[in-house]
This record gives sequence, C-alpha cells and structure tokens, in this order.
Amino acid sequence: MTKAVWSGVFTALAVLVFSSQASAQATASGTVTVSASVNAKAKLTLGSGSVTFNDADPDVTPLLTATGAVSVDVKARTSSAANVTLTVQSGGDLTSGSDTIGISNLTWTATGTNFVAGTMGTTAVSLGSWTGGGSVAGTQTYRLVNSWNYTTGTYTATITYTLTAP
Amino acid sequence: MIVSRRLLAAMIAWTAAAPGARPAAQVSTTTLSASVSTAAKLNLSTASVSFPDADPDIVPQIPTVGGPVLITAKSRANPGMQVVLTVQAADDLRSGVSLIPASNITWTASGAGFVAGTLSKLAPVTVATWVGSGVRTGTQQLYLRNLWTHPTGTYTVSLLYTLSAP
Repeated sequence: MTKAVWSGVFTALAVLVFSSQASAQATASGTVTVSASVNAKAKLTLGSGSVTFNDADPDVTPLLTATGAVSVDVKARTSSAANVTLTVQSGGDLTSGSDTIGISNLTWTATGTNFVAGTMGTTAVSLGSWTGGGSVAGTQTYRLVNSWNYTTGTYTATITYTLTAP
Repeated sequence: MIVSRRLLAAMIAWTAAAPGARPAAQVSTTTLSASVSTAAKLNLSTASVSFPDADPDIVPQIPTVGGPVLITAKSRANPGMQVVLTVQAADDLRSGVSLIPASNITWTASGAGFVAGTLSKLAPVTVATWVGSGVRTGTQQLYLRNLWTHPTGTYTVSLLYTLSAP
C-alpha cells in the first residue's frame, strides 16, 4: 500500500516536471559595439611608364601626338567634402644633351570624369580633381608642338604624377 | 503437540489480523508542483569588436580584430517551438556626419543552427534558429565591406542581439 502511494506521488511529480507548460515567451538580449577605422588613402596607377612622339614634318603635323594614350586610374579615400587632386609636373624641359625644348610645348588632352586638359610646366599642373573618395579612370594623350626650330636629337623629360587625398 | 502448534499458529494469525495489533493504514496524498517556464539566456564573448583600416584593393572584406564572436544561447522553450537569435543594428555606422550603411556589415557563422547574413538597421536579422530547449554555441565572424568611397573617420554602431524562446 505504501509502495503504491509513493509510486503515485512520483508519477505525479514526473508528470509535472516533464510536462510542457504554455507560458509567455522568454527573451534575452546582448549588445556588441562595433567600431571601424577608415583612414585616408591614395592609389595611382598609370597604364604606361613611357610616352613616345614620332618625328614628323612640322608643316604637315604641327602638333605631334604621342603614340599612345596613358591610362590613369585614380583611387582615393578621404572625407566626404575633401578635394582629391591629381597633378603632373615635369622635372625640367625636354633635353637632348645640351639642347632643350621648352616643356610648355608639351600639352595634353584628357578623357574621364573631372580629368582636364592642360599644358606641362615645371610646377604642379592639375590633371584632375574630385570631391570625396572613390575610384575613377581616365586617359591622358600628350601632344608636342612641332617646330622647324628644334635641334635634332632624342629628347626626354620625366613627368611626376601626384595624387593627393587629404 | 500438533494441536498446540495449530493453536499457536492460529493465535499468531489472529494477532496479525486483529485491528488492535498495529495502527490502521492511512493513505495520504501530497500534491507536488514544479513550474517550468520558458527562459532565455544569451552570452556573447565580447562586448565590442573593431574593424581595422585596410586597402580596399587588397582586403575587400575586413574581418574584425580578434576573430569571431562566440555566442552561447541557453533557452527553455515549449516543445516544438522555434528558438530564434537575431541581431539588429541600432543605426548605420557613424563618424560625425559621415556614415557607412549598416548593410556593409555581413557575417559568416559556424555552429548548428547558425546562419550567415547581412546586418540591417531596419529589422532584426536571423543569426540562428533551433527547435525546443537546449544550450547552443556558435561563432559569428563579422566583416566590413571595404570601399574606396567610405569617407574617412572612426565609425561606431551598436548591435542588439535578441534571443527569443516561445
């Protein structure tokens, strides 16, 4: 008899413990704070490391065009309102030994958003400018004034491109 | 002799059966009750994560420093009910007036029931689901989409994790 009573009690307890109960939804929450550092960056890629002008008759071709356009790939990261600038600057005039051609005879045309045409100098000249960060591609085609007054020779000059993302 | 033994046996039997020989059996019942309600407990291994700066061309998806977030979800739910863990951004990532949309954060996940996803500030996004009660663990590796167009700055946002056990 005693055994039967305890058996009944345990059975009831088991039913209570393991039976499901319809109860309100339980929730728990947690928070994670996320931080991200985004620093200024500038990346400039030129499609060619050299540009060549072929010889031509000044009367027929008063303005020489370089054999190929230079592709210019600009990537910059800066603040939303900051001005990203791309400039070019020659280290000096075109030289061939002691002979020179004034660097201002070198001009260019450009394609691509906010790329601009210009005339080369020994100080920085704008090739393009943009507001805020991003990626943009363009081309630059050099032209050289052709003159009978040029002394024969193979002339060279080094052009420096500077991309600035403040 | 035989008569005496039978008499003795009869007396013992009578004594055992007599009401006065021992207390009367009394049957009592006690009702035991145990309340098992729904419950949820969420543990995140860290309260903060950070994305370092990186070159978008080299690291297009930046993982958090220190690796993934370890998540432990304990829940007691009604049988057959779905336990859900969600995360929602309190806002976009902000640095002053600059912002990076919360949707630029994605994650991969490991562990039973955990799923990959994309963060949103508009609605909770599922991190994991299970059926019924249990203790579950998993990891969530957050990534920040790295773009040149992100304005520079130090961005922050809070992520709210919610574990629901119906």
